[in-house]
Amino acid sequence: MGTKKGQKKQKIILPPELPPEIADDEIEVSDEDLQFVDENRDYAGFVSRLDTQSITKHVTRVADVKEDALEALYEKRLKKKQLQKEQEESKLEVDPVDALPVKTLDGELVYRKVTKTSKPSETNLGEEGETGEDDEEGTVDKSVIKLTKVERRAKLKKIKKEAKKQGKELAKTEVEQTPQAAVLAEVEKDITAEEAFEDKRLKIAELGTALLCDPEANIKSLKDFLQLCKDDDHAIVKLGLLSLLAVFKDIIPGYRIRLPTEKELQMKVSKDVKKMRYYESTLLSSYKAYLQKLAALEKQSSFQHVAIRCICTLLDAVPHFNFRESLLGIVVRNIGSPDDVVRRLCCSTIKSIFTNEGKHGGEATVEAVRLIADHVKAHNCQLHPDSLEVFLHLTFAEDLGRSEKPDDKNKVKNKRNKKRKNVEEPSKLPENDRKRSKRELMSKMREEVEADYKSVAFSPDLMEQRRMQSGTLSAVFETYFRVLKHTVQPIAPRYGLLKYTLLWYADRNSKHCIVSSSSEANASLSAGAFHSHPLLAPCLRGLGKFSHLIDLDFMGDLISHLRTLAGGGGTSDNTSGKRLTVSERLQCCIVAFKVMRSNLDALNVDLQDFFVQLYNIILEYMPGRDQGEVLAEALKIMLCEDRQHDMQKAAAFVKRLATFSLCFGSAESMSALVTLKHLLQKNVKCRNLLENDAGGGSVSGSIAKFQPYASDPNLSGALASVLWELNLLSKHYHPTISTVASSISSMNVAHNQVYLSNVSPIQAFKDMSLEQGSLSVPNDLKKFNGKRKRGSLPSRPEPSLDATSIDEDSLREKLSSHFLLLRDIKENQRLRSELDHTTSSLQLCEEYKQQKIKDKKAKSKKISLLNGVSK
Amino acid sequence: MRPLDETETTAVFEKIFKFTGNNLKNIVENPSHEGPDANPGRYCFRLNKNKVYYVSESLVKRATNVARSNLVSLGTCIGKFTHGGSFHLTVQCLGLLASNAKHKVWLKPTSEMSFLYGNHVLKGGLGRITENIAPGDGVVVFSMSDVPLGFGIAAKSTQDCRKMDPNGIVVLHQADIGEYLRMEDEL
Repeated sequence: MGTKKGQKKQKIILPPELPPEIADDEIEVSDEDLQFVDENRDYAGFVSRLDTQSITKHVTRVADVKEDALEALYEKRLKKKQLQKEQEESKLEVDPVDALPVKTLDGELVYRKVTKTSKPSETNLGEEGETGEDDEEGTVDKSVIKLTKVERRAKLKKIKKEAKKQGKELAKTEVEQTPQAAVLAEVEKDITAEEAFEDKRLKIAELGTALLCDPEANIKSLKDFLQLCKDDDHAIVKLGLLSLLAVFKDIIPGYRIRLPTEKELQMKVSKDVKKMRYYESTLLSSYKAYLQKLAALEKQSSFQHVAIRCICTLLDAVPHFNFRESLLGIVVRNIGSPDDVVRRLCCSTIKSIFTNEGKHGGEATVEAVRLIADHVKAHNCQLHPDSLEVFLHLTFAEDLGRSEKPDDKNKVKNKRNKKRKNVEEPSKLPENDRKRSKRELMSKMREEVEADYKSVAFSPDLMEQRRMQSGTLSAVFETYFRVLKHTVQPIAPRYGLLKYTLLWYADRNSKHCIVSSSSEANASLSAGAFHSHPLLAPCLRGLGKFSHLIDLDFMGDLISHLRTLAGGGGTSDNTSGKRLTVSERLQCCIVAFKVMRSNLDALNVDLQDFFVQLYNIILEYMPGRDQGEVLAEALKIMLCEDRQHDMQKAAAFVKRLATFSLCFGSAESMSALVTLKHLLQKNVKCRNLLENDAGGGSVSGSIAKFQPYASDPNLSGALASVLWELNLLSKHYHPTISTVASSISSMNVAHNQVYLSNVSPIQAFKDMSLEQGSLSVPNDLKKFNGKRKRGSLPSRPEPSLDATSIDEDSLREKLSSHFLLLRDIKENQRLRSELDHTTSSLQLCEEYKQQKIKDKKAKSKKISLLNGVSK
Repeated sequence: MRPLDETETTAVFEKIFKFTGNNLKNIVENPSHEGPDANPGRYCFRLNKNKVYYVSESLVKRATNVARSNLVSLGTCIGKFTHGGSFHLTVQCLGLLASNAKHKVWLKPTSEMSFLYGNHVLKGGLGRITENIAPGDGVVVFSMSDVPLGFGIAAKSTQDCRKMDPNGIVVLHQADIGEYLRMEDEL
């Protein structure tokens, strides 16, 4: 027992040199020891309770590695272990190892009962290290045998689930679950194809479990696994790929493996290091083989989904690991794939790379963005919009740039200090030469320590991060500008690519028809299908989002591009198919404003051209075809949030918005009216439009007459007009719009309202489009209208009240006639019942008459009298 | 009084084009609203004693009744030809330019007076500026409440204005409404 303790200690400290095995009875125990044990029997109690078997296992494993051990000894011990194993085999079912149970998807708890088997297999690895690789098959077989039934069943279930995911029908799995069949399947030589399939599946399951429970020992079986994946049966290959994926996901370490260099290989290392190296290199080589397999399969259509799923999951789970570049390359290549499933997988993977930068320290982000940029360049901007949509998920830490500046300042200061020092130093030099050398030493030390700290520090270097971020940014904007430029550029140079584009569109359109039920980004898709700028929409969205990061130097070009695009894009070749949609042009305006606003706090630039564009786009807007949200956003950003407007321009927009809101849906008109109100509140002089006096007089400036067809808001002379539209709008069928319109028309020129409505056009648009659903029944409207009018605005004099009051009168008449009718009916009933009563009483009376015939004369008189009264 | 000849017309139009761009068309085609005529005529340019006038056609017809030596002025004077033959815009044409201006600059209230005394517009006095100004373009100067104050020539593009220091010159002064007081005799 003493030796064992000794061995254990030695194992921890120094693995290679172990004392040879000595039988227990050979040890001489001194009297002192005995005495000590006797005295402290209580303390020594745990020794007797020690689990000797498990300790021996642990210990012998180390002893096996000993270099001068004899082969005979191995064999002997192997036999011994075989015996032990057989003993354990019977116990295995009884004692589940206290690992945490695994909860499967359908809520079932699965206990792992495998760890026992793993320990012997570890020893196998130790032997292999010594004796060579020839008994590889044997070990695998052993590990196969060692699996318990319960575990096998659990794995089977898992496999079934995986198979179901792929829509594979698996037949007759029940038969295999019985242990006899399992044994039979191993023994039988001539098995049918189905059984072979089952067999392979089982093998996959067994290999996978073995790998999962002890990757270090079973790392060799990865190669077998890969062999299995080269099967002819597609189902098996898929199963194998997926199981390998699960295995790799689990066993890939949290660091990047660097293979040892030649020099390092020559150096003498300990056993543990050797083992580790072996493990890592095997893992790496099989991982590489696996990836090559995936890359090859990705090109075959039947395997594409599985391969892409594997690649995406791997990239998602282990973006820090080796061969990330190839993974990224495949994913980016498929990011614009016509296949919906593949594309969505790839996009979500890239998104997760962008959002979880902590996993890989941001390097993968730079690479991915670079690759996407190259991809876009290679395909000449003819890709699916989703491929640029992913950029929206990028995040840029803004404080990086800021924290850099103080550094610069410090540097400058240091320089100054240094200069000062340099000036001072020569005078001091002779006396403290030694001190200076000491100081130099100190500073050198400090630098070294700092460098060491940096290399070890958990948080990545700030400079490094900054560099990566700027790389990402430049790639992103390069892509965006490329798309913009491509959109602006005339058709002629694009003719060479036309064929490709057409092919691609045909492909995509067919797909689109199939999956058109998926409403996701349907609008942009259909928009993309009709003209050749599929990437423009996500590009504009991205520019809007990252507008605060654009370099000032690019701004001039960017704005000029946006201007041409907002003007309809390449109007020189006026083929109808190539023109941009209204939504896209509006987007251009919005982006320009965002860019300007987020970059220029000091200089207030007036984007006149974009106002002209907006002024004209409003006319082209069509409620069904174009996106109302974009229009509302444009109104908000350009008209509500801009600080200042010329009077002429504001008036022109007020007039146009009023006209616009007359002829479009209630949601759009609502947003237009809110903007109009905002403009009128801000520009006091524009309230002249509300006066019943056309002509405007001196205020209207040089243009004396309103010109509705002018394309420039400054030249429309809108101040000379009157907002008659509001009067019409206050009779709008929608109650909210009519109230807003009437409230605007009651705005006064004289007193300046300080109150500004804080409802943005976007908000108004959303509210109304939500409300539209509830108000779709036209019959309800009239009643609702009347009620609202009566309830909320009891005493306001407004033209719309006439209509409703007329309605009310007619309603009252109808109601009163109805109620009169009802009252008549009731009256009739009452009279009838009275009549019945009297007739019955008459009958009674007559009976009475017959009975008392004697004094009938007097009675008859009475009855006739009564009758006369009742009638 | 006589119509402008070819070279004079180009000189005048080039000058105005600098300020108004394509809106020059509006200036030429603007229907006049002067005189009792039923159908309003157009405006035209007339030269009288080195000064160029922007006159409605009906007024021109009536002015023919006045002898050339006696005619002091008619319509709106927009500029004059120098002895060297080049054309200068004067401050009276400000209204015409302001309503058709392509490039505008708005001044902060604090720097309005400085401009009205005949100084250039500095970056520090800039309240707002139109996008897409190139150096050399004609710029109309407004106050923040949209009152035209004068005009000048852009010294810097809008892009360059961003990086300039507050003392840099943005617009070179040509004319301002202060001249109505300062140079009352000359006008």
